[in-house]
Amino acid sequence: MDDRKIVQLYMDRSDQAISETSKKYGRYCHYIANNILHNEEDSEECVNDTYLRTWNSIPPKQPKLLRTFLGKITRNLSLNRWEKLSAEKRGGGQVSLALEELSECIPSNENTDSIVDNMVLKTALDHFLDELPAQTRIMFVRRYWYMSSVKEIADEYGFSESKVTVTLFRTREKLKTVLEKEGIVL
Amino acid sequence: MKEKHLLDVLGNIDDRHIEEAAPAVKKSRMPSWAKWSSAIAACLVLFVGIGGFILPRIGGNSGVGDSGHGDGSTFMSYAGPVFPLTLKEENAAISAERSLTLDFAPWIPVWISNEEEAASLTYLTDAERQDALNAYNEWYPDGGRYESSCKIQVTDSYTLTNESTQNQTVSILYPFVSNLNSIDETRPTLSLDGNALETALHAGSYAGGFQGAWGNWAETHENPGSLNLDSIESWEGYRDLLSDGTYLQRALGDFADLSDIPVTVYELTDAWGPEENNDAGIPNPTINIMFELDYTKTNVLTYGFNQGQYNAEQGIMGKGFSVRQPVDRMYGVPYYIIVIGEDIENLTYQGFATGGWDTKKTVEAGVTIKRSESNLEDALRAAAAYQYQELIDVGNYFESNPAYGFELYFGLMKEHLMEYSVLSENAVERYDDGAIENLDVSGVSRVFWLEAEITIPAGESVTLDAASEKMPSYDFYCADTENKGISGYDMVTELGSNLNLTEQTAKLEDRGQIEIVRQNFGFDLANGITEVKLTEPHYYLEVKSNGKE
Repeated sequence: MDDRKIVQLYMDRSDQAISETSKKYGRYCHYIANNILHNEEDSEECVNDTYLRTWNSIPPKQPKLLRTFLGKITRNLSLNRWEKLSAEKRGGGQVSLALEELSECIPSNENTDSIVDNMVLKTALDHFLDELPAQTRIMFVRRYWYMSSVKEIADEYGFSESKVTVTLFRTREKLKTVLEKEGIVL
Repeated sequence: MKEKHLLDVLGNIDDRHIEEAAPAVKKSRMPSWAKWSSAIAACLVLFVGIGGFILPRIGGNSGVGDSGHGDGSTFMSYAGPVFPLTLKEENAAISAERSLTLDFAPWIPVWISNEEEAASLTYLTDAERQDALNAYNEWYPDGGRYESSCKIQVTDSYTLTNESTQNQTVSILYPFVSNLNSIDETRPTLSLDGNALETALHAGSYAGGFQGAWGNWAETHENPGSLNLDSIESWEGYRDLLSDGTYLQRALGDFADLSDIPVTVYELTDAWGPEENNDAGIPNPTINIMFELDYTKTNVLTYGFNQGQYNAEQGIMGKGFSVRQPVDRMYGVPYYIIVIGEDIENLTYQGFATGGWDTKKTVEAGVTIKRSESNLEDALRAAAAYQYQELIDVGNYFESNPAYGFELYFGLMKEHLMEYSVLSENAVERYDDGAIENLDVSGVSRVFWLEAEITIPAGESVTLDAASEKMPSYDFYCADTENKGISGYDMVTELGSNLNLTEQTAKLEDRGQIEIVRQNFGFDLANGITEVKLTEPHYYLEVKSNGKE
């Protein structure tokens, strides 16, 4: 079903909105949740919570890109749950690894004046991504937005794992340089 | 933790980056998609379900399989039976033989090439279409995929015989279950001796009721209230709906004219305010309207508002809306407050930084408010026209067949409003905010009738065929019931018909695609019995894919 029709079902408060969303994007949301949580049951709950959150958001929201709208909600919910599980020592998986990797991107505080807000950081990240070669950008987003494993990225795009690892490493270095240049402190 | 902060903010990067990197989910999660399993998956994917929403209901249907009524399963989503033809006025000179064919041809997997799929996206630019093709090639590296449907083709065929010595010209009525949103896909095609018939469409009222929000189901196993729709779950529900004929009579009748109900209309136009700006602490610029009223003497309907505040004791009501920006859908569409009864007083408005009623932070915002006296018919018509246009804009059924038209939509809206809204003695909680756009007009199930006039020459017979694609009844996939992956189809032989049906038969065209799980038709695929005589009031067939191409 066309995304516009699905959004209209939400506007109409029709239960069918959920089944159509699930039909079209259930696997997509589950993929994101499971990359983060590595647990079928927790992932399923996060995906169901995504539907509930979407039901409560539309209206008033009218997303133009339903897939990313759902994906963002799933990612947020899953990361929240991951954080909670980590506190209970049940976390792990790709998020831990991704966090470890991202720590390399964090500039030191020495040459900067103030902590920037999220909007500035988001703009800097978008700009940084825009400037990357498409292939590198996709790898980066797959790794740190979708939390895909290095192996999966390598398999999907036909590279060796070491090529993916090296590309991601260089991209993180570049991001660190950009953030430093922009005077961004996290 | 700084890296967690970075990870969180990364979550908000531009949609285009997220879209660009979207994984080939189907490929990665189903690496061994053989052609046959692809067909099953396509079928099953249709029924991935509601998750959190239906979970409480699963409790209610835990005995799925035979719960609720004696024959056939009670599915979580019930498509409704195939009904028999009837005549607008009973005619003793006419008799009929009925032959129903259930054809599983749509279950046969069809190869859809990536090229064809991309080319069908005619509303995209060439560059966007190329992007789509690239994405399809990534998702389906074999150059395409197999897909099949879980609908079946139903041909409901009647041999109508005029046993009198005079030609008989009669209006036939062919019923079917659908909703306005999907009527274009589900509406049967009628033909007489192979020639397509022109038909008029009649729509029945909402064929269901209301139920609570399952709040205390786990403790009480009761579900009081009227916040949710309560759809018909079995053929007996339709039997109760149609058996005394009043539902049909209402569908054939005219819609009420509400011109004699005086109203005061407040039309709000040219709303303006600051742009949404999270940094500036204005995530959702909103205008809230406040006014005074006597709740016992005044009812308020609205259009375009997305929040409300009610205090009957103090005699105040608030209605609010997010200020639309030029890029938003419905930008420029007025907001309406329609007052029935005593007029409201001391109307004021204020702009706020968010949509919450507890928001203190105000913003510069404004709106032009015009008060006029009118009647409910005209006032509703104005608001309904915008809602209708909105439905067209998002690609609803009107787009592909404008002949259904505004009047049908408007009539059904009025009917629903007078039956269930704050204006009704039987008002339901679902509509207690008075928002016109929340009325379930286009998405709810109804029985429709197609009407056509035919002439049967004296002493002769004609063949009338009603052909349609019938959706199955099913359980939501994630509910994990014993009916997971099972499609149900059912029919009734007499319900709602005044025809003298002398013989009825049913034929199964299984196309080598199905395994019968439950039925009362008497088909026996192993022994080649695919045609049976029908004598019971209700028949059901529940099948699953046998996994063959």
